[in-house]
Amino acid sequence: MEHIWDFESVFTNWRLLLIGLGNTVLLAVVCLGIGLFLGLFIGAARYSKNRLLNVPASVFVEVFRNTPALVQIMWFFFAFPIISPFRIDSFTAATLGLSLNTAAFCSEIYRAGIQSIHRGQWEAAKALGMRYGEQMRRVILPQAMRRMIPAFMNRAIELTKMTSLASVIAFGELVHQAKTISTIEFNPIETYTVVGLIFFIMIWPIAIAVRGLERRLSRHE
Amino acid sequence: MGYEWDFGVVFRDFDLLLLGLVNTLKVTGLALLFGVPLGLILALLRLSRHGVIRIPVGIVIEFLRSTPPLVQLFWLFFALPILTGINITPFIASVVTFSFQSSAFFAEVFRGGIVSIEKGQWEAAKAIGMDRGQSMRRVILPQAVKRMIPAFLERVIELMKTTTLVATVSYADLLYEANTIAQATFRPLEVFTVAAAMYFAVLFPVSLFVRRLERRLGRTGEGTVH
Amino acid sequence: MTELLKIENLNKSFGALEVLKGIDLTVEKGETVVILGSSGSGKSTLLRCVNFMEIPTSGRIAIAGKPVGTERSRASGRIQVDYRESELIGIRATVGMVFQHFNLFPHMTAFGNVMEGPRTVLKLPRGECEARAETYLSKVGLADKMHSYPAHLSGGQQQRVAIARALAMEPQLMLFDEATSALDPELVGEVLQTIRSLADEGMTMLIVTHELGFAYSVASKVLFLSDGVILEQGAPDDVLVRPKQQRTRDFLRGHATYKLPDLAIT
Repeated sequence: MEHIWDFESVFTNWRLLLIGLGNTVLLAVVCLGIGLFLGLFIGAARYSKNRLLNVPASVFVEVFRNTPALVQIMWFFFAFPIISPFRIDSFTAATLGLSLNTAAFCSEIYRAGIQSIHRGQWEAAKALGMRYGEQMRRVILPQAMRRMIPAFMNRAIELTKMTSLASVIAFGELVHQAKTISTIEFNPIETYTVVGLIFFIMIWPIAIAVRGLERRLSRHE
Repeated sequence: MGYEWDFGVVFRDFDLLLLGLVNTLKVTGLALLFGVPLGLILALLRLSRHGVIRIPVGIVIEFLRSTPPLVQLFWLFFALPILTGINITPFIASVVTFSFQSSAFFAEVFRGGIVSIEKGQWEAAKAIGMDRGQSMRRVILPQAVKRMIPAFLERVIELMKTTTLVATVSYADLLYEANTIAQATFRPLEVFTVAAAMYFAVLFPVSLFVRRLERRLGRTGEGTVH
Repeated sequence: MTELLKIENLNKSFGALEVLKGIDLTVEKGETVVILGSSGSGKSTLLRCVNFMEIPTSGRIAIAGKPVGTERSRASGRIQVDYRESELIGIRATVGMVFQHFNLFPHMTAFGNVMEGPRTVLKLPRGECEARAETYLSKVGLADKMHSYPAHLSGGQQQRVAIARALAMEPQLMLFDEATSALDPELVGEVLQTIRSLADEGMTMLIVTHELGFAYSVASKVLFLSDGVILEQGAPDDVLVRPKQQRTRDFLRGHATYKLPDLAIT
């Protein structure tokens, strides 16, 4: 069967794609910000010695890591509104699902990064008379951060791919816009090819940067 | 908020959810069956000394890793029938998509394991007269596979989570069944919560096992790859 | 005496770095040749060219009278040779090599390590492979450790297994690349003893080592390599006790902590 490629019908709808791209980036950036921020506290809570902190934090992390992101998003969109005191639109539901998911994964990155610092560093800082907070802020985190950056960037990659799930609850990101275009124009092959390429162009440079960073870090250590 | 929970409706249709779970496992299992060998082949090709093999294979792997699986699934589901004239069921589209999608990730696990083996092992194999294939089969892979197991299992967890996407092309997996029941009973809160719990019940034990394995391999100084 | 190894005008460069510059060397059957030199002198590279772990940039190597590869040209004294990988694999199977870091296969027992070459490369019947493994592990004094994994052996034991692994291929030539450099001092002796007994049996060997006392007592010929050329060669007494070159003397003085009998360093 001969298929006549028709990319023009995709590009006449560039406005729709641009809106989709904007929404994809918006969702990814917001969720990454919230995830990085919350993740630090959840990570700290999980490894605190206080059971009132570490048990709920552990449950949170395990639940969000061991259930599919799509289920999380659909739960926040279809199920959560029933008990929620406020209205939930598709953006809010997607943000809740993806932010909390990202926070769970980031908390583990913080933990692994901090644990990777040699015990001697804590001891040296302690021997100088630093308090716990000072040890963490002045000595441990600056070293750990460098090692965590590639993992966080990988998270950003996964998150950007996951934003496509928001199309399922009709949030107007790239894939949702692609659905709309392909329904109007009957050109799913071309539309999804273009959308695939847009994602690739967004994500691949990050993937290359991650590899470069990892190589640099492993050479330094 | 006086919401009255009623899990009764969920358990009336629980057999449907279980059937959905079986279908989820079916897609996951088949994608593994095809994705793992394909991943090994891709990894070996990507480690080739010839640029004409290495570079295109690298691009394919990068492309599969850098685009959302949902886009891949839609592309295949809508595009394949148009391009080939063959009508494919949601089930076949899902298995094909996730076999390819996961093979790219498995390829990177294999590659990571292979390059983590010390150069001395290649040298020792070479020095007793082994060729590249023999060195790989007898010396490198048996050691690499052991280090890869945790990363490999983590990919399996990711794969099973990713298969939820099949619901979007109306394949009756666990999520799809949950959605159907939720709409029929007007009890989305209970239904989706139970569905999430079912995924958790399958995936959490695997996660725990991975962590124990990593600790053990870490303790014996063998290390693991990611 | 028969000539087992003949190296003619051997050069090896890594990129712009010339590591070996025109090496000529002949080794008779049954000889033990010790190669000395400071790090970076090219001694390991020379060894690794003999079994083609490294492909020489130019020069000819003949083993047991048979030149390896096909000569392409001899322009301005440089001998260009083409090699086929299958021929080189055959060469490696008849030349044993022992590494500084042992490089035992950690997923196989001592027995498995020694059997591996005869089984996979020589494709001998299983029974014969087992017989060889037993013979050579006993020979290096490890008959009782046959079923241990490398991780459960001391460094000295691991290196002896590595020697047995090389011997099981029944090579005509053995190469030792700093075989004791990675060992704790108290474990060096057992490995040197194993190498010495091979010399006594008439095995042809090329040994790179920093153990001057051992070199003195085991070598039939000593080479001193400096900046990729053989600066001095001869009997141990000539090179180690009465060196002619200033650079050889400097090297020996630097290693004076190794006790040498009546070493006349002036």
